[in-house]
Amino acid sequence: MEIKGKVVMVTGGGNGIGEAVGKYFAQRGAKVALVDMVQKNLDRVVKDIKEMGGEAIGIQANVTSEADTARFIQGTLAAFGQLNICVSCAGIIRDGTLLNLDAETGKVSRKLGFDKWQAVIETNLSGTFLTMRDAAEAMVNGGWEGLLVPISSVNKCGQVGQINYSSAKVADALMPKIIIGEFLMRGIRNVRCVAIAPGYTATPMLTQMNQEALKGILADVHLGRLVAPEEIASMIGYVAENEALNATTIEITGGLCYPKGIAK
Amino acid sequence: MKTITYNDMHFTVEPNGAGWDILRGGNAVAGAGLFQGAPEPEAATRALALIRTIYPVGVRSVGPDVLHPNTIGDLKIVGPDVLHPNFIYWNKDSVSCPKDL
Repeated sequence: MEIKGKVVMVTGGGNGIGEAVGKYFAQRGAKVALVDMVQKNLDRVVKDIKEMGGEAIGIQANVTSEADTARFIQGTLAAFGQLNICVSCAGIIRDGTLLNLDAETGKVSRKLGFDKWQAVIETNLSGTFLTMRDAAEAMVNGGWEGLLVPISSVNKCGQVGQINYSSAKVADALMPKIIIGEFLMRGIRNVRCVAIAPGYTATPMLTQMNQEALKGILADVHLGRLVAPEEIASMIGYVAENEALNATTIEITGGLCYPKGIAK
Repeated sequence: MKTITYNDMHFTVEPNGAGWDILRGGNAVAGAGLFQGAPEPEAATRALALIRTIYPVGVRSVGPDVLHPNTIGDLKIVGPDVLHPNFIYWNKDSVSCPKDL
């Protein structure tokens, strides 16, 4: 797929990986619809794209809402007339272990709150489902060349303290195989699906964390630094241009290893 | 330049090369480089349709929902739930709404 002239919609487009994806595609002549919950972030990114000479709109919306999802798809079509690439970057973390024990008694002192489970599953899994579903509907009905890109994570392998996040991200990683299998069954040939599973990436979420903890993470990354959001964006650009990539999940981690050097 | 007032928000539609920018409140960029090649009347019409889509006017009336799962300790948090039967989707310009109810 040639990027120039195509329409790209990015959820979570107000910062981090989503912002980088929006700017990457705008720089290459795509029209970009950014979706985010924070209006001031949208305003900033759309302004940046305007100053780059690009075409963009910002749509404030919540990806966990079915009505909002329909609205930001409709807004994208109203602005640009079609939809070709949909990248689902919107995501949150609410970390915690399943159980915490009292140091003296050894009994359970606290359980992971259901609110923490539900918030992450709703945003990172249900939100991705709604975005993929409605974007695919628009692409199929419009007959446009399409690419669906759920954003998974290397922590799909199962990260302690992230039972909610890892559960959502392993499900996101499965989506391409299921969606493309179903598209083959239904005779839908104009839409591809490739998930991206980033490793530890230099987003505000990570760069603002405890720097000692961050050093510990980087000790296990062969590259020796966080992955740049622009590097994730460029991988998505490559996926867009290479039609043979389909029904798979691509990891981009800088060589993230378990302690003692076994690659994840 | 065309000015649009919708739901007490002020937008301007300004030319930007062959396309049009939509500014909100004078300086925030709602959209950039849109409607390439469209003449001003068409751009203004399409801008209003787009504004109505991306800035909906919503009245969310949520009654007590004792089954809603979001809790922080003993506090029950009820967020906007568009599937709730009391949700009213309102997408009309505020000028069509009577000032005195």
